Amino acid sequence: MIDVRCHQVSKQYAPRAAGLGGPEAFWALRDLSFDVVRGEALGVIGPNGAGKSTLLKLLAGITTPTAGRIEIRGRLSALIEVGSGFHPELSGRENVYLSGAILGMRRREIAAKFDEIVAFAGVAPFIDMPVKWYSSGMYVRLGFSIAAHLDPDILLIDEVLAVGDAVFQEQCLARIRALRRSGTTAILISHDLAAIELLCDRVMLLEGGRAVDCGAPDAVVRTYRQRLGARREPEMPGTKATRPTPIELTGLELLGRNDGPGATRRTGDPLDLSVSYRSAEGSVDQVVEVFFYSGDGRVLHCQLTTAFSAEPLAVLPGNGTVEFSIEELPLQPGDYAVVASTRDAASQQIGSWLKGVPLTVRPGRMVRGHFYLPHAWRHQGDRQELQ
Amino acid sequence: MAEAVEFSSAPAHAGRKDTRALTVIAPPAWSWQLVWRSLAILPRYTDLLYTLTAHRIKVRYKQSLLGPAWAICQPLAMMVVFAVVFSTVIRVPTSGHPFPVFAYSALLPWTAFAAAVGSASTSLVAHAGLVTRVYFPREILPVTYIAAAIFDLAVASTVLLAMVVYYQIPVTAALLWIPPILILLAGVALTVSLALCTIHARYRDVGVAMPLLLQVWFFASPVLYPLTAVPAAWRSIYTLNPMAGIIDGFRSAVLEGRTPDLAALGSALAVVTVGLPVAYLWFKHVDATMADLV
Repeated sequence: MIDVRCHQVSKQYAPRAAGLGGPEAFWALRDLSFDVVRGEALGVIGPNGAGKSTLLKLLAGITTPTAGRIEIRGRLSALIEVGSGFHPELSGRENVYLSGAILGMRRREIAAKFDEIVAFAGVAPFIDMPVKWYSSGMYVRLGFSIAAHLDPDILLIDEVLAVGDAVFQEQCLARIRALRRSGTTAILISHDLAAIELLCDRVMLLEGGRAVDCGAPDAVVRTYRQRLGARREPEMPGTKATRPTPIELTGLELLGRNDGPGATRRTGDPLDLSVSYRSAEGSVDQVVEVFFYSGDGRVLHCQLTTAFSAEPLAVLPGNGTVEFSIEELPLQPGDYAVVASTRDAASQQIGSWLKGVPLTVRPGRMVRGHFYLPHAWRHQGDRQELQ
Repeated sequence: MAEAVEFSSAPAHAGRKDTRALTVIAPPAWSWQLVWRSLAILPRYTDLLYTLTAHRIKVRYKQSLLGPAWAICQPLAMMVVFAVVFSTVIRVPTSGHPFPVFAYSALLPWTAFAAAVGSASTSLVAHAGLVTRVYFPREILPVTYIAAAIFDLAVASTVLLAMVVYYQIPVTAALLWIPPILILLAGVALTVSLALCTIHARYRDVGVAMPLLLQVWFFASPVLYPLTAVPAAWRSIYTLNPMAGIIDGFRSAVLEGRTPDLAALGSALAVVTVGLPVAYLWFKHVDATMADLV
């Protein structure tokens, strides 16, 4: 069963009115065709100006296409900008009814879900105050809560996850997951590629108003990253060797299944790396280190080092490799640059360093926070007779 | 070939009828079907109409001392001003009625019309934030202003009732003409508002021209003078103004207890039966891409 069908949809924005001048007409979407089957989640990605928001406005019925046809089966609810129907003078209670009615809910339906909506938003003590006295956080939470309790057949989401604090974002994600589990068809538009990969069954890449790729989330996201040129050469920190270095690094390799020079792993996957060197003399005062930088080289996330072992690294004259192994990769999804360097244990002076190798981390062990912490847990319980 | 037929047979679930409503979003056509389809989905939005109308009324009186009394104050204050000017400075014929009740009985429908058209015509642009973010039938916005204006008229009628008692004006069966006249009033206001909304989305000149338009319309309507004061030779052109018949009909039903001048009401009836559908079709056609304009 197809819930959303777009057939050769084009949208042109024309100058506002005759006699007033204004910008040239331009096509925001050209000949876009796609289907979304029931229960499927389609992600839409693309650079700014690709037509993502126009597509969403067309699907929501806010404006109509210049050519083509969209068929939507069932009740569609759009989380485009939450709280947009609020009136500052009215109380939270009155605004819930007003906003719900604008979104197409019946009064009876709103009344039945009222307590749930207010509880989800966490504004129960303030519900009879005018919303002009609300904090912006309360405003956004109440707005989202109304939209999220519509019980839609089809859910449209446009960057709503970019608003609110972390706790609220988590609530939103949980609500979206719950709706997805209950079989709601969804179309998500986001710049957050990790969220898109995590929540979507299929991803469409828009560019210049046309669909340039559509398919499995990881493949399309990779295509998008490549087209964006996201893998820029990391700007490496540190100083170059200022004096002759006893060992010179010759290679850094991420071991295992790789694509090209870089590698893709999931959070929580094992990762083995090898750093090869060439040394003119034997030494025990050198430390080999590996750094994980963000893809643009700006943020240092973590480091592997030979410094903390009981035995120092004993380098022999000739060639050798140092292998590092990580049992569970702690990095959150994103693009990283892996850099290797040597350092003099006593002077801290950097000897030799190697340019970054790209590492893409995809959603694996999904945890919130800055990193995934490998951990164990135990459970103890006493069997007690109840009553 | 038999195999091909077998292959193309529908999957198991397709036999079951999908009960979900199908919405088609496509460029609008200049056809009456657009009007039917738009009307057909309106019943789903009756709760929105009710909530928004209640909202209009509530918001207007929130954080104001006099509250609903303002609905009475506006026509009442105008009546007092006109009564001072036109019964002492300049004398106008009132067909023998005391000037206050003569003026007030016409100011009621006029104030309702002017308030409705004045705010309804700019309602889409005033709610641009809503129009560009959520879909709902946009005609609901002007309709809520008209409904709120009729509500205010009902509140302000209490003063008219008091005047009727005070001046001992006989209450007759002609008062039954008031509901149909108010329906015509609302219909004319809706027609004008839909047309002006449509123009206003493209040309903001409407908002600027509105006070002037309403002022000219006020003097072209029999509020400060009776319809009978218009020279007979001019009467047929004069009554092309749909508000002429409505205001005169309202006043004569209340004050004189007589059947309204049906010929004068003809233009209002024509506006509602012919003008309204055309204005609605035009409105819905522009409404399809209204979000790009406001």
